[in-house]
Amino acid sequence: MKFQDYRTVFQVSSLALVLLAASPALSLIVSFPRSGESFSELWLLGPNHMAENFPFNVQAGEENSLFLGVGNQLGNSAYYLVYVKFRNQTQPLPNSNSSEPSSLPSIHEFQFLLEDGDVWETPVTFEILDALVHGDSMVVESVSVNDRVFQVDCSSTWDSENKGFYFQLFFELWVYNSERSTFEFHDRFVGIWLNMTG
Amino acid sequence: MLMFPVSAAGNQEVAASRISEAEWWMAQAYEAVLDAESADADVSGLLVRLNDAAELLSEARMAFDGGDFDEAAGFAESMSEVGYEIVDEAELLEIEAAKARVHSSWGFLAISVLGVSVVVVASVLGYSFFKRRYYRRLSKMKPRVE
Repeated sequence: MKFQDYRTVFQVSSLALVLLAASPALSLIVSFPRSGESFSELWLLGPNHMAENFPFNVQAGEENSLFLGVGNQLGNSAYYLVYVKFRNQTQPLPNSNSSEPSSLPSIHEFQFLLEDGDVWETPVTFEILDALVHGDSMVVESVSVNDRVFQVDCSSTWDSENKGFYFQLFFELWVYNSERSTFEFHDRFVGIWLNMTG
Repeated sequence: MLMFPVSAAGNQEVAASRISEAEWWMAQAYEAVLDAESADADVSGLLVRLNDAAELLSEARMAFDGGDFDEAAGFAESMSEVGYEIVDEAELLEIEAAKARVHSSWGFLAISVLGVSVVVVASVLGYSFFKRRYYRRLSKMKPRVE
């Protein structure tokens, strides 16, 4: 090896050591972008805190329970809102293609804040309070969610294919956009079908 | 004591205005907490309180939807008070975090200046030592004429 080669090795290793020594100060100037994707999670669990035994065959006056959870992987604290909605088979669900929420009014809501990487979970108990059958249709007049009663006046016609009166309880996730100072639909929803035949 | 009849519509208006105010405070509080968080303040305690406030706001909105305007106004007022306190505390936390950041920045800068100086001095000394040794060794390898 020639002297010039030794000198190059010396210069390169000195430069590396200088950068290493300067890294505390460099960290004040250089910021590294967050690695990975930013997203939120929304889930439902059954009464045993497992993804099974979800309420399906329900009756008026019977209390049913679920667990609703949200996970924040957005990279910063987030302010969430979950709307609980109730519908029959023909009423609109959120539109995943156009990122639009369901136009139905909410029957309950949960607002909470989550630090990045944290999860929030809450028990949800619901009860169909008044349901009336008129010929081939059933009208659910009121539903209670976590002991709050809401008038829904939602009717469902007999589904001859699946043999039942079907309703759906679903949960929409919204997140607060601090730039626009408003909640926006976060393009996530989960729900369970309820068969009111029994 | 005089009693004035308050109409349901009046109650509704009052409740609606209290809820709007509470929503405004909630947004202010959340943004203040976000600012404090981005200044590296520990906001976990504030988030717990903000969650309580969010719950009050939800209760207010649901009571309003259910037609219980007095209850809605009560929840909204409680929320606004909590929101105001949170904004104050978040601003204090942000200022403290900014001060702590300046202190730690000076510390990092001092460590870096010291580290770079040590590396530069060691490199210069090491280089001249190596150069001398290299040429000395080279001169010993020269063929001698006897």
